[in-house]
Order: sequence, then C-alpha cells, then structure tokens
Amino acid sequence: MAKDPRETRIEDLPGPKSKGELEEMKMPYEEYCRKAFDPGNEWAKPEALKGVRWLSCTMYIFTPHSAANLAELGADVIKIEIPRMGDAMRHTSPFNEAYLYPLHDTRPMTGTGFGFTNANSNETFLSMDYHIPEMVDVFYQLVKMSDGLTELYRPGTFDRWKMSYRYLQEINPRFIYVWGGGFGYGPKVFGGSYDILGQAHAGLASITGMHEYMGGHCTKHSNWCIDWMSGTLISYGVLASIHWRRKTGLGTMIEFSQVQTPSRISGYTFPLYGRFGIVRQRWGNWDTQLCVHGIILCGKSDFPDAQNPQDKHDARYVMVSAFNDPDFKELCDITGLKDLYGGYKAHKERADARPQVEIYTALEKWAADKTRTQVVKILTDAGILAAPVMNDREVYECEHYRERGTIRWLDDPLYGDILLQSGHSVGMMTKTPRRTNWIWRPVGADNVKVYRDLLGIPLSKIEEWYNKAWI
Amino acid sequence: MADVIWCKKVVGGKPCETVNYLDPYCFWNWEGKTNCAECGTVYYIHMIQGHMYRGPDEKPGEKPDLSPLYADKPLEGYRNYYPGVKGRTRPYECLPRHIYLGKADMVKFSIRGKPVRGWRPQPPSAGLAGQFPYKWDIKKLSPEVWAEYQEKKKKGEVKEW
Repeated sequence: MAKDPRETRIEDLPGPKSKGELEEMKMPYEEYCRKAFDPGNEWAKPEALKGVRWLSCTMYIFTPHSAANLAELGADVIKIEIPRMGDAMRHTSPFNEAYLYPLHDTRPMTGTGFGFTNANSNETFLSMDYHIPEMVDVFYQLVKMSDGLTELYRPGTFDRWKMSYRYLQEINPRFIYVWGGGFGYGPKVFGGSYDILGQAHAGLASITGMHEYMGGHCTKHSNWCIDWMSGTLISYGVLASIHWRRKTGLGTMIEFSQVQTPSRISGYTFPLYGRFGIVRQRWGNWDTQLCVHGIILCGKSDFPDAQNPQDKHDARYVMVSAFNDPDFKELCDITGLKDLYGGYKAHKERADARPQVEIYTALEKWAADKTRTQVVKILTDAGILAAPVMNDREVYECEHYRERGTIRWLDDPLYGDILLQSGHSVGMMTKTPRRTNWIWRPVGADNVKVYRDLLGIPLSKIEEWYNKAWI
Repeated sequence: MADVIWCKKVVGGKPCETVNYLDPYCFWNWEGKTNCAECGTVYYIHMIQGHMYRGPDEKPGEKPDLSPLYADKPLEGYRNYYPGVKGRTRPYECLPRHIYLGKADMVKFSIRGKPVRGWRPQPPSAGLAGQFPYKWDIKKLSPEVWAEYQEKKKKGEVKEW
C-alpha cells in the first residue's frame, strides 16, 4: 500500500499486473460463454426493442410470428383480434386435443389451442372490430402512437378501409407498414395462401422427400416451416426499416408474399435450371452434392418395448457424414465394405446418383442387425460424424438443450406449467437476450389497459363498446 | 378409421336412408346405444378400436346414451344435421381424449406434475370487457386443483424436469 492512500498504484489494484498475467487469468472460453449468456437470467438484462410499439392485425402463424419476434426482443406488441372470437389460430390444436382455458370471459367452455403457441408470445391482447366506421378513429389513434403495423388481409382490403400504408403514412409519416399474405400484387393478386400452399406452389414440396423410384412422394414438412420462416424474414425487414427510419425519419411499406419464401430456401434449384434446363428432382434423406452425407435406416429400434409408436418404431434412423476420402475409407473399413471403397475412392465418383444408391443400400444392409445407438457408437468411435435422429422427447431429455436453455419450462402467469422453445431456440445474445414472459393471454385480456390507460377512454364507454361487441 | 350407421329403418312407408357418423373421438372404443338423427331409432353398438364388433342392433323403446355428432342424407343431396341439433345430434365440445381409449382426458398437470390450465369450465375472471388479471391465482380460483397439487408434492410426484 502506498504511504498516501490517495495514490493509486497498479500493484495495489486487484486483477492482473501484466499482459501475461491478464492472459493467464482469462477464464476458459466455455466458462466465459456460460457467464456471458447466462440462460435463465434473461430478465436481469435490458430489452433491445423496448420502446417500439407495434400493432398486429394478424392471424394464423406467418404474420403473427413476425410480430412475436419483435415482442420477444422487447417491443410492445398489441395484437388486435376479432371480439369474442380471437385469432382463428386459437381454435386449432394438434388433433383437437391440447387446449388451455378459457378463451374469453364469456366462453368458459372454449379454449385456445397449442397451435397458437410461440407465434404470439409476450403480446398485449386487444379486441376490436376495426373495420366498422365507429371504431376507425380509435384505430387511427393507435396508429398515431405506434411505430408500425403488420396485417394479412387480401391485398387492397385495408386500402378499402382507408387503413393501408398510403392512408396511414399521412397521419404518421414514420409508420412502418407490413402486408404479409399469399401472393401479393401480380397475376395471382387474389390468391390466398397457407403454408402448405406455399410449399407446393413455390416448388419446395416437389424437391422434398425420397425419389418416386424409391417409393417416395413429394412431401410437405409436417410442421408449418414456411410460416415460421416467412414471419422471421418479415422481422428482419422490420428491423432494417427501423434502422432506415433512424437515418431518414421516414417509414416504409413492406410487402411480403409467403410464396416467395420456399423459393428463397430452395438453394441451387433455379440457377441449375437456368444453366442446363434441368428440373431438380427429389433426393430425400441423401444429398445431391455430398456422399456419404445422409440419413440411414437401422434394423433395430432403440426402444423396442416402448408404448409410444414413435419411440418403438422410429428410433431407427442415423445421420452419417463421411464424404471426404479418408472418412469414407474409414467408414468402409469399419463396416467391412472394402469392395465399396475400391469402387468409389474419389468423392466425384461417389456423388453421382447410381453410386449413392449402391453405397446407402450397402450401409443399410450393414446396419440391418444393429440398433441406432450401436451404429452411432461404432461410427463415432471410429472418428466418423454420426448422430441419432431424435424425437422431441429425446430433445427434451438432452442435457445440451437444457444447459443452453433452448427447451425450458415456463411458469406462465395465466396458464401455468408450459414446456416451450419459442425465442430461446434462436441465437443467444449477451446484452439483450430474447425472452418469453407469457405464451399468450385470453381474447381482449388487455382491453382496459389499452383503451383506458393508453388511449384515455372512460370505462363507461369501454363497457358500452363491449356490450355492442365492437370490442 | 371410423364407422357409420346407415339407417334403413322404414318410416312412413320408405326407408330412412340417413348416414349417422360415429366420430372416432367418442366411438372409438365404445359400447352403448346411439340414435339415428333423422328417425330416432335407437341402435346398440359395440366398437373396438374403431371397428364395429357388435351391432348395430335395433333397441326399440330404449333411450340412447350418446347421439352422433353429425348426420346426413346422401340420397337427398346431402341434407344434413349439424352438431348440436337438440334430440338428434350432440353438440361439438372439442373434448381432449385419452390416448387410444377415446375417453375425455382433462389435463390439470403437466408431465412434470405442475398445474396447467387444461380443463374446463374455468371460472370467469372478475373484470370489465374481458379484462384478465396478470396472474392466475390457482389457490383462489381452483382450490380443488391446488389441494391436489399439494398432495402430489407430498408424494414427490412434482419434478423439476
């Protein structure tokens, strides 16, 4: 310690005394990441989009998800729904079995289905029939105090109601307006869309699934992946628009046609056609560019005695990747398929269609008397990349996802114990992480909060509107 | 797969010709009496895993246990009875079923044993215009589920994962 306590000497301070010492004291990268991301403690950190207010006049998954992305990042998203009915998606549930009750005060026997989950997290739920003349001014008031809006009606519907971008920018020039729907303007302007229509219409379903010669058919994804993906792409557009507005002070209109998304993610399909006139075909669980790089079927299930058929019959698939030459040699050695290696030593010989059929058939024959776990162990022990194709139960039980907070239990303030992934399953952020505060709320649950607290409308008026079913 | 009862009962000199749909959620594994939505004839049936094991046998003068959800008359341009026509079809209640058994299964607890609001009816929340409070006060609103939860905790049936 220095004689004068006011004097600061480097040796008296805690921490490293030299650059070398600093390097030594740095925590291991793994530990640093755990501390920096700290899953489970997101609520102690600020929200990136706090202060942004967004209106969501949306239904189903695609457009609601674009707003939920903002809400998970901290925006105040007001979801406006049909009075007493709500978003149509509330009334859908896997096999009509997973509902949470109630939907609304007046409907104690009706619930909201799990189909609604993850697409409307953290939002404020308002009910309003905004297309009737009596409520238009209230809607405009919300527009004046909001940053943007997402809607999904047929092109021109909001314009007919004088609520499209060209009207709203006159009352709020900073307004960001998103139309998200099926086709957008063009020859198919009146075409509505669903995820499955998008997958079919934009060519994605035609290249998904095994080839017809192998008993396959064009296949849609079981989940509505195009809805989820399209919603996320809209959110990127919104964030870019907010950035643009900071520079210019002006809003933007985003027009997002859902059928664009499957074409965006179809890779080399269109360039290939443009170069050769080749119409791309399905190649299912294998890969058109790399071999071996696909999913094979093993003969025995990992859980032969399980009650659940998904466990009992489907725990038989393994993803194998051994496309570079040394890995392929090792794969052939370990599986005893040495003749195979002799025929296809170079990758360019293996990646053709016919060799792939031969190679994968031989691998499946080798795996016919083995379980999924045995195959994965044999291959990974030999240094080859292999992983079991897991179902959601196995993902839930996997320590990796638990530690990173990808899948977690949420004690929802209104609905109780819910297992979900939502915003935790996208990238992690050290300073402003995404979070899920609640999965959703009943129809009109926040009417008083918005109408009275935000817009200053007296309770007597709110009650009158409620009794007329305007809200 | 589900079955139907195509009612051929002669009523007023001509066959009834109504197709009564035995929806799998309720009739999958079911034994009892159901009615024709048009003429009201009561049939005894016994279904196992969606297959008609016994019946349909007419049971004149008896009362049905459960009505079909929907019925129509394909020979008359599909004139139909929607769900919930009093005395003919039963209302659509969207009841969750127990896996494989076809019985209603209201969920009160998640797989790790904590309460989840998956049953109905739920008591209405006191508020104006659909206003809901920000917290589900389970102890106050659903005391019987709260008591059940305490029992589960004592038995060690509530887990973290």
